[in-house]
Amino acid sequence: MTNTLKTFTPLAWRNLWRNPRRTVITLIVVSIGLWSVLFFNSFLNAWMQASKDATLSLLIGQGQIHAPGYLDDPSIEALMPPPSGKLLAALNDPRISNWVARLQLPGVVESEYKTLPINIMGVDPEAEKHISSIPGKVVEGHYLTSTSDAGVVIGLHLAERLKTGLGRRVILMSQNTEGKLSEQSFDVIGLFDADQATEDYYAFTGIKAAQQYVGLKNQIAQIAFAIPVEENLDPVLSKLKQAAPDLDIRSWKELSVYLATSDSFMKGFIYVWLAVVFSLMAIGIVNTQLMAVFERTHEFGLLRALGMKSRRVLLLVTLESTFLIGFGVLLGMLLSGLSIYALSGGIDLSGFAAGLEMAQGGQVLFPKLDPVAFLVFSLLVWLLGILVALWPARRASRLSPVEAMRYAS
Amino acid sequence: MIRLSRTVNHNAVKPGRWLGALVLLLVTAIAPAASAQDARAILQSAFDNWRAHSSHAVVEMLVKRASGNRSMTMESWTEGDDKALVRFTAPARDAGNATLQLGSATYVFNPKLNQVIKLPASAMSQSWMGSDFSYDDLSRSQKVVDDYTHKLIGTKTNDGKTVHVIESIPKPGKPIVWGKQVISVRSDGVLTEIEYFDQLGKRVRAMTADKIGTLGGRPYPIVMTMRTDAKPGQFTRVTTTAAQFDIKVPSYTFTKSNLQNPR
Repeated sequence: MTNTLKTFTPLAWRNLWRNPRRTVITLIVVSIGLWSVLFFNSFLNAWMQASKDATLSLLIGQGQIHAPGYLDDPSIEALMPPPSGKLLAALNDPRISNWVARLQLPGVVESEYKTLPINIMGVDPEAEKHISSIPGKVVEGHYLTSTSDAGVVIGLHLAERLKTGLGRRVILMSQNTEGKLSEQSFDVIGLFDADQATEDYYAFTGIKAAQQYVGLKNQIAQIAFAIPVEENLDPVLSKLKQAAPDLDIRSWKELSVYLATSDSFMKGFIYVWLAVVFSLMAIGIVNTQLMAVFERTHEFGLLRALGMKSRRVLLLVTLESTFLIGFGVLLGMLLSGLSIYALSGGIDLSGFAAGLEMAQGGQVLFPKLDPVAFLVFSLLVWLLGILVALWPARRASRLSPVEAMRYAS
Repeated sequence: MIRLSRTVNHNAVKPGRWLGALVLLLVTAIAPAASAQDARAILQSAFDNWRAHSSHAVVEMLVKRASGNRSMTMESWTEGDDKALVRFTAPARDAGNATLQLGSATYVFNPKLNQVIKLPASAMSQSWMGSDFSYDDLSRSQKVVDDYTHKLIGTKTNDGKTVHVIESIPKPGKPIVWGKQVISVRSDGVLTEIEYFDQLGKRVRAMTADKIGTLGGRPYPIVMTMRTDAKPGQFTRVTTTAAQFDIKVPSYTFTKSNLQNPR
């Protein structure tokens, strides 16, 4: 076998270059196909990462803690005290980069022209700056300055719907601790620019101001925390659950089912793309190889007549495909590696900002080379390529020597 | 002044309050007010008077829209400043619909659903029976005078009588969306116009007395129209056809059971 390979390897290699044009065409098909898979994969991952980061850093964080029942019925009756003791210690774990306590209450906001439903968010502005991107998205006016700041920061789109603006007052209404309606006027001190749903959904004010407004002492509705390293999510979550078994502790995957679903969809989508691209590649490979075998009928007949066994003919043609596709795969890897490297500084999509806002995507994508996917996809394309090339090889090996010799090319 | 205006709107629909206020205005505001204190006094006494009276009236409401006009007839009862019942009697489509205001709570009865619904706060600013009035306009009669500072800003003439124009600005921190209200009170105590302004000073809507006559023995704005500036061509006109004042209203009138099953 080793001897056979030693003989056949140079033979196959030279055979490839007997018809350089055909070989180059196949190389191009394979390398472009693989390049599209590898590059698309890294682009999709970058897209997913960017939109995940953008969504999670908005408000969600990597996970949140609520009192049991709050997420089903976010009312003033389902609150919890600020973290203390074991939970506080667990939250100060070094794997948690930041955490914030918030008071989130459903209510309505009223202007001269309109009354709209809203979520009143009492926040600690200093802590919020480290975990949420909203303080940095204030485009008019300024963000809250302290926990007892009784101004309100609302979204641009909400302000437009309310026909209100900076420096004007709106009335916030929400149920208070006595079960009655609290209404208070708040001055609009800032407008933020985020995706439309967020702009319409939240009105931010100081947490102490919010607590006072509905008659609470220090209760909170929500703790959001950030865990920068993805792998730490599960261990930290179980540690938190141990520290506070009575509370409802969830990761972003449970909090934002849409995001988690699209995350797994994107991961599966690359295989769909792979299948499509590979089908096209297979057609290209089979077509050119069949053509090659057809043209070389006379040659195969001669080889057989000289005593070469049909298995050897099969091996020879398969070896040719192995080199050809392998070379194409290498070229594809090189191409995609180069293009990912060239774009690793970030793809700025801010030109499509309006569309991206709807999809809650990030505006700058950073494609990264994922070594495992890189090798797996390349190997897969190579092996599948060899597999489909077995068909023309089999045809070559099945030729009858006499008929093949007579065949005039 | 918003609250007064709301009150006043309320009265427009429920003439009892109107009349109560107007009677008092008539009695207390004969001498034209000339200063801020007087401006406040006029409104204050109107408000106080209102509180002490009861009424029963028949009112027609015309809602003008681009798609056509809608006319409704209703009967209303009021007592004090926190009890009111309005029941529609015509046309057949709307007959039986009723709104009960008890303190700060507002209940709505729909005969088709045969159900009494307590309105959530978020619904209070929605349109009442498709008109230019909101449920808020019907309720919130209290603290009217207290939440605003009032100033006499001028006079004009109406039907040969002097009309005092009062500018009312919400006190800081009060939960009031309006920038200001401008209220015109005729020297005989009839409110002739209430204008609502947003916080930039742009007028949002206005209610005007189109016809002032005598009803139940008092000068009274018989026809009042509410217009929203952003919707030209639309308005709601309220015409009071009959009214009695300071009558004894049975105590069962202002109950949920009476709302659902009128006696």
